[in-house]
Amino acid sequence: MAIGEPIVRVEDERFLRGEGRFIADYALPRMVEAHILRSPYAHATIRSIGLDQALALPGVHAVLTCDDLPEGLPPIHCRIPTHGDLSPYLQYPLALGKVRYVGEPVAVIVADTRAIAEDAAELVELDFDPLPAVTDPAAALAADAEQVHEAGNLAGRWGFDLGDVSGALEAATFMVSDRFSIQRHTAMPMETRGLLAYYDVGRGLLDIYGPTKVVHTNRNLLATMLRMGEAEIRMIEPDVGGSFGARGEFYPEDFLIPFAAIKLRRPVRWIEDRVEHFAAINHSRDCVFDVTVAADADGIITAFDVKLVTDMGGYIRTHGDVVPSHAGASFPGPYRVRNYRLDAMTVMTNKTPTGTYRAPGMFEANFARERAIDRLAQKMGMERAELRRKNLILPEQMPWHVGTESVKRPTIFDSGNFPLIFDRATDAFGWSLPYQREVDGWKRGRGMCALVEPSGLGPFEGVRIEVDQHGRVQIFSGSSNQGQGHETVLAQIASEVLTVPMEKVRVRHGDTGIITFGGGTYASRTAIIGGNAVYSASISVRTKALDAASRRFGIPVEELDLREGAIWHGLNNEPVAKIGDIARMLMPGNQEILQTPSAGNIPDNDGLVVTSYVRAVSAGAAVFAVHLADVLVDPATGETRVERYMVACDVGRQINPMIVEGQIVGGVAQGLGGTFLEELTYNEEGQLTTGTFTDYLMPNIYDMPPVTSLVFEESPATTNALGVKGVGEVGPSGVAAAVGNAIADALGTSVGLNTLPLTPQRVIEAIGFEVGA
Amino acid sequence: MNKRRVDLTVNNRAVSMMVEPRLSLADALRGELGLTGTHLGCEHGVCGACTIIVDSDPVRGCLMLAVQAEGAEIVTIEGATPVVGLSEIQAALREFHGLQCGFCTPGMVMVLHHLFSNNPVPSDSEIREALSGQLCRCTGYQGIVNAAKAVAARHMHQNVQPRETSQDHRE
Amino acid sequence: MKPAPFDYFAPTTLEEVFELLNRYGGDARVIAGGQSLVPMLALRLARPEVVVDLNRVPSLSGITEEDGVLRIGAMTRQARALASDIIGTKLPLLHQGLLNVGHPPTRARGTLGGSISHADPAAETPMVMLAYGAKMVIAGSAGERTVEAAEFTLDTFETCLEDGEILKEIIVEASADEGTGFSELARRRGDFAMVSAAARIRLDADGRCAEAHLMIGAVAPVPLRCDAVADALVGTQLTERRIRDAVRLIDLNSFSFDNAEVSLAYRRHIAPTLASRALAQAVGRTGGLRT
Ligand code: FES
Ligand code: FES
Repeated sequence: MAIGEPIVRVEDERFLRGEGRFIADYALPRMVEAHILRSPYAHATIRSIGLDQALALPGVHAVLTCDDLPEGLPPIHCRIPTHGDLSPYLQYPLALGKVRYVGEPVAVIVADTRAIAEDAAELVELDFDPLPAVTDPAAALAADAEQVHEAGNLAGRWGFDLGDVSGALEAATFMVSDRFSIQRHTAMPMETRGLLAYYDVGRGLLDIYGPTKVVHTNRNLLATMLRMGEAEIRMIEPDVGGSFGARGEFYPEDFLIPFAAIKLRRPVRWIEDRVEHFAAINHSRDCVFDVTVAADADGIITAFDVKLVTDMGGYIRTHGDVVPSHAGASFPGPYRVRNYRLDAMTVMTNKTPTGTYRAPGMFEANFARERAIDRLAQKMGMERAELRRKNLILPEQMPWHVGTESVKRPTIFDSGNFPLIFDRATDAFGWSLPYQREVDGWKRGRGMCALVEPSGLGPFEGVRIEVDQHGRVQIFSGSSNQGQGHETVLAQIASEVLTVPMEKVRVRHGDTGIITFGGGTYASRTAIIGGNAVYSASISVRTKALDAASRRFGIPVEELDLREGAIWHGLNNEPVAKIGDIARMLMPGNQEILQTPSAGNIPDNDGLVVTSYVRAVSAGAAVFAVHLADVLVDPATGETRVERYMVACDVGRQINPMIVEGQIVGGVAQGLGGTFLEELTYNEEGQLTTGTFTDYLMPNIYDMPPVTSLVFEESPATTNALGVKGVGEVGPSGVAAAVGNAIADALGTSVGLNTLPLTPQRVIEAIGFEVGA
Repeated sequence: MNKRRVDLTVNNRAVSMMVEPRLSLADALRGELGLTGTHLGCEHGVCGACTIIVDSDPVRGCLMLAVQAEGAEIVTIEGATPVVGLSEIQAALREFHGLQCGFCTPGMVMVLHHLFSNNPVPSDSEIREALSGQLCRCTGYQGIVNAAKAVAARHMHQNVQPRETSQDHRE
Repeated sequence: MKPAPFDYFAPTTLEEVFELLNRYGGDARVIAGGQSLVPMLALRLARPEVVVDLNRVPSLSGITEEDGVLRIGAMTRQARALASDIIGTKLPLLHQGLLNVGHPPTRARGTLGGSISHADPAAETPMVMLAYGAKMVIAGSAGERTVEAAEFTLDTFETCLEDGEILKEIIVEASADEGTGFSELARRRGDFAMVSAAARIRLDADGRCAEAHLMIGAVAPVPLRCDAVADALVGTQLTERRIRDAVRLIDLNSFSFDNAEVSLAYRRHIAPTLASRALAQAVGRTGGLRT
């Protein structure tokens, strides 16, 4: 049995041996290197770009600017439905006429080496007319604000008005209103991006190594932009050092590098450096919530009234407005609150454009909602867990329709027993046990966050399974992998259904050349949709093998059975045939089954091969989770130390518990980074002031508390055959909320701790301090 | 550009390379010698992905110039890996799920390799300190620490002694 | 992030070093451990024409002791200093400070002289040297001169080193039977401090404070020496309470660093706490803290 086993990962050996093949490890003969010259200004009009000196530098092959772009090139398309028309805000691969953030590509320099390309970049003469930089959404909305785009700084305004919020607010016994800010930070995978494009001029074929996440979508988008046939472009995912939402989207470079390779007729490689990454990769979060939550005298939450302002940066990219959209659609969380109003605004500024980062919108919304609920509990004098417990959606109310929608899909929680999981979580943590409030002058606090994480979104996934004559199983998945362990997880599913050992199953992914259609990896979807595609294809392979054996050996199919990678008849001691033998018999041209071949189609002998496309149910699978934390706070300095951390969640069904735990613990680490350390700050000129790892602090080993994951398989997903729910985003989703609540509890404060990150200074500010006191 | 010849020992093999002074040691190992197991996550000395062993010390490969490695003895992930299979540390990292994307992994393996060579039974705090300069975005470090603790526990059980006489750092 | 081109020399004697520095003047930069310079090269924030490597000059490293006076070569690696028994016993404050400097792989290359000459206001080693009243031996083609640590660091990233000069050696007088304490708060351990404090305390035979030194770092371009605090402690029996009272005398007006993440007010707020901790630790290490 492979499903449910904590099997060590098949991909690990190559990484541990230093034999992973990441994009910077790829090279081709005659290859040249590209460097992107980026805008030093946040906002400026381009007057001219002087290239003479740069082109004269030995070793420089080309410098491409917007003048070189093809006539009629469209901007980079947004791949997700948006609220309203955001097309005026889309980005072109190179700035046209105006730059809108520091780091916006203005030229591509191709040279023998990256170092020479950087030398040449210093010789390009940029004649730009600086304009005032818009760096703050509130300022951007002022009447006399500088306009980032002609279409105006307010890109979108939408919302919901469910039930009777005004009535509920009027009738409320208790009410809390507050503002919560979630700072700009981002995914920051340890490997930067990179691409290697090779154009075979004679054949007109373009191979691109380096894309990931949504390679089929990206390939199709590039085909449109380059006016090429889709199958003439092949995107191939190498080993990828993390994405967490940001990496693998279609960025300007995803056009520019292939374009340069075509122009130069030479392989062109671009390896992003870390400083570029800071300016170029999608940023995320960066929003402000104004939340009012109302409750009646019994502690029933009667309304959420929310305003949400999101800083989108300089352009709308491939993710559109999905981040605030998710935040808005799921704001009510696991509570059965029918009166919900949202007024959401998306605002353009002169900063790096934004997109998703693990638990997009949810990390943010959970922080705002759960901090507000703690405030409410405090105001009511009700125990915090009790208030939450009282308001949870009940099992008999499943599936729960929130009444909202995001990216044109209704928000529905398919299944779950929230109160049961909640009770188990609080019991396991010892929530209601008394705890020592003071330890060596430090104060201890306890906090929690209850949340629902949607998972498994996106339309479909594809897979082809091929069994060869040696009984080896090759899975060609349309999904991709940035480190999550899909090569193991998908193999486990096929191994289980086809009863072949894991060693005989190989998974390939992220390659448009191996399967015609693919969905990709995002929204914690691969185990669910990719997994179910493998599951369904594996079942078809089994059926096909049994059917072939039945025909070959003249045994009724009901009497045959697939076990240990072979076909068995009843209780016989010997198998009828191994699965590899069946694969051989089904090879085109083989006559063991089809004994009198006729010319033309050979419908049966098309190999032991099955292609399967599985549609996702649009609601996905809802994971209920509770985050719990004990935090120590030094009231003298504002230092904090998370003592212990627990995530309890119901994932329906685990395929590999070891990987599930790894996803949760790693996710908590990212959540802690967003809670305490990471921030992308800009100065008034629109310059990023935390643009290296020296200033942008990510958690190191000393920042990690012991994390316990408590995983339940209580309510299998009702929206997929395996019953699995995605676990990729549960980890970070509730961290800021649980930790923020714990710190507030430690300090006994009802103000502050509304603004992330919770630096020592902010913690101290929450209790107010006097200098020198 | 004026290239220099650098002679050094990498993974027990004498090699020489012609490099520009501005080339980092990590770039040289990767580009000139094809040892792409050493990764670059930041090129400014913070992430630790490029960590290699230079003359018995763990060192940031991105913060040394290749020309500075003249005469040095270097061990990279390729040299810390058995011909087939995994070293004890590598196997423990797999067993305890101490890696996800694998990008930080060579650096992690190198600092642990160095730690255990000099100190077969490190304490928990010595393990943490050894790993403190290595960033991992995927794992939250828990699996990595658990792997190292398991190796230490095994060594304690087997009474393992330091593999190499560690260079005496004391005066 | 590739450096601009430069030429490179690896002299093996100090004479060669000075000859090169004279020849190239302001176009040359010396490289010690490289832990600060190489990132600046990669970011093209530093663009020397010539890099002169000190790593092959043997006379620049090593730790020796004679009659209670320690001489530490500027190229002594931070890791070596941290592992050194002599430093551990004779200059414990340096040991304590070094524990907060970077991480094992950066300490393996990083040198004491390099970090002192870099003169980062938040760095630990310059503050420790100030606390010890160390002497800095500066060498150049014209010969050697020795300056007090307090005269060495002039400003943020600025020392009294002239073109063509390098820091050669640090001389510190070890003081027996004193206790030392070091306390700092950084956003992330191993990173530069938001505020740091270093203390030395010596008690007399009656257990009274005979000598006290307190330094506060990361609050102004140069670490601050808090003599008023020290004076208030000398001659008294050191209790927690007395320390708490004394640190009120820290001259908060001489703090100047102020930015959004770490405001001046916050630095002023936590400095006395960190100072108390450093002092209490120092007293504890003399075995004499009374409660
Ligand atoms: S690449 Fe060397 S430390 Fe990051
Ligand atoms: S495993 Fe991905 S960064 Fe460590």
